[in-house]
Parts: sequence; C-alpha cells; structure tokens
Amino acid sequence: MADALLRTDPVSGRAFAGDGVKISLAPPMARYSLRARQPEVLERLLGLKLSRQIGATLNGAACLGPDEWLLRAPAGTSLTTAAGLPVAITEVSERSVCLIVEGVRAAEVLAAVCPLDLDRYALGRATRTVFETVEIVLLRTGEERFEVEVWRSFAPWLNTSLQTAAGQLR
Amino acid sequence: MLLIHCPYCDEQRAEIEFAYAGEAHIARPPDPSALSDEDWSRYLFIRSNPRGRHHERWRHIHGCGRFFNAVRDTVTDTFEATYKAGEPRR
Repeated sequence: MADALLRTDPVSGRAFAGDGVKISLAPPMARYSLRARQPEVLERLLGLKLSRQIGATLNGAACLGPDEWLLRAPAGTSLTTAAGLPVAITEVSERSVCLIVEGVRAAEVLAAVCPLDLDRYALGRATRTVFETVEIVLLRTGEERFEVEVWRSFAPWLNTSLQTAAGQLR
Repeated sequence: MLLIHCPYCDEQRAEIEFAYAGEAHIARPPDPSALSDEDWSRYLFIRSNPRGRHHERWRHIHGCGRFFNAVRDTVTDTFEATYKAGEPRR
C-alpha cells in the first residue's frame, strides 16, 4: 500500500482517446535485463526457455540481441541472482515505463516517426528501435495493439509526440 | 531512407538505428611498445579513405547493439555486403 501511495509516474494515468487510437500508461511491472553468451546457463537458472531468434518473444522474454533478453513479468516478481555464473540478471523495472498504443490506427500513428515496416511486423515481435530520436523497445502484443517501452525521463515527451501524431494524422 | 542489412537481426533496417564506427579490419599491433612513434601514429590516425569500395564498421546501436562490418561504395553510398564481426574480409 505504501508503495502505491509513493509512486509517481512520469505520464498521467488518464488514457488519451483519439480518432481510432488510444494511448495509455501500462500498470507497473517487473522488468529484467538478462545477458548471457550461453543462453543454456540462463535457461537452467530461470527454468524457462528463451528464444534464440532476435526480435522474437518467448515466455515473456523478448530477445533483443544475440546475448540479450528483456523479461517482463507481473509487478513484484523477483528473480534469483546469478552469483558465480557467467550471466547477468539486472532488475530494471523502474528504468522504463510502458505506453500502450491500441486501436485501428495504432500502427499508422507509430509509423509517423518510427522507421520500422509495421505492416510486416508480426504479432509477438519485439525490438529496440528509435521513435524520432528517442530509443524505444516496440512490442506488438495484438493485431491492433503495440506496447512501447521507453525510459522514464523520455516518457512525457514521447507521450506528447504520440498524441500529436494521433491528433494530426487524418 | 537508407536501409542497412544487419547480419545479426538478418533484416533491412533504417540507417537512423545505426552508428558508423570507422574503417574495418584494422588490427591492433600485437606488441605496441615495439613500435616507433611514427608507426604507432600511423596505426592510430592514418586511414585508407578510398574513393569507391570501403570496408567499414557499423553498430546497430538502436537495435541488437552489435558491431558488424560492411562494404560500402563511398561514391554511390550503396551497401554491397554486410557481415558479422570476426568474419574474413570480403
């Protein structure tokens, strides 16, 4: 309870509803950055399979690079530490916030500034990319639903930028 | 928009996601202290700067984060090939 009272988010919790698109802040969640040259060690430690294909998501962990995964789990999830093993498990829950962009025009609004080809961006894909000049991790979690992970301090700017795109594109 | 093929992501991605990182295949001398100042400065500062085919390093910094090598034509800006770091010169 104390946590909930102290929490301040960089973006208003009130969703923005535009023409065919809704932009809202996702509830807090646990995020872990997982690094390992030998994914098997990490898999054995965590007890879950990790995708080897960059851009794919498996068991909530998005493969961002050949040795890097971003694990997103319900708030409060805590992982084991990896003392003595050749892996790095770092909690980064509060490093970023997640903006959910959904609706029939979701892809169109994101494509305003994001250079990815969103028509060929399959369900379940996740990748690091840029939105104008801000680095984001873009996840497609539904046909008309994208989740944008962005560093906290960039979130107000990104939120405004998305709302502007949503309001000006017709 | 210039598209660059990332050999790790195995995908064409926009140039804005990448960072240029200088000429490729420049090996650090195995024994630096044995080099004269002139040779050392040549290793540090002198680059081939060709007109045409150029081997260079790029980093997919806003993507998988990896360094890789590319062959680019410096006149037409065409990427002839990209390949993973550590692979032989093309």
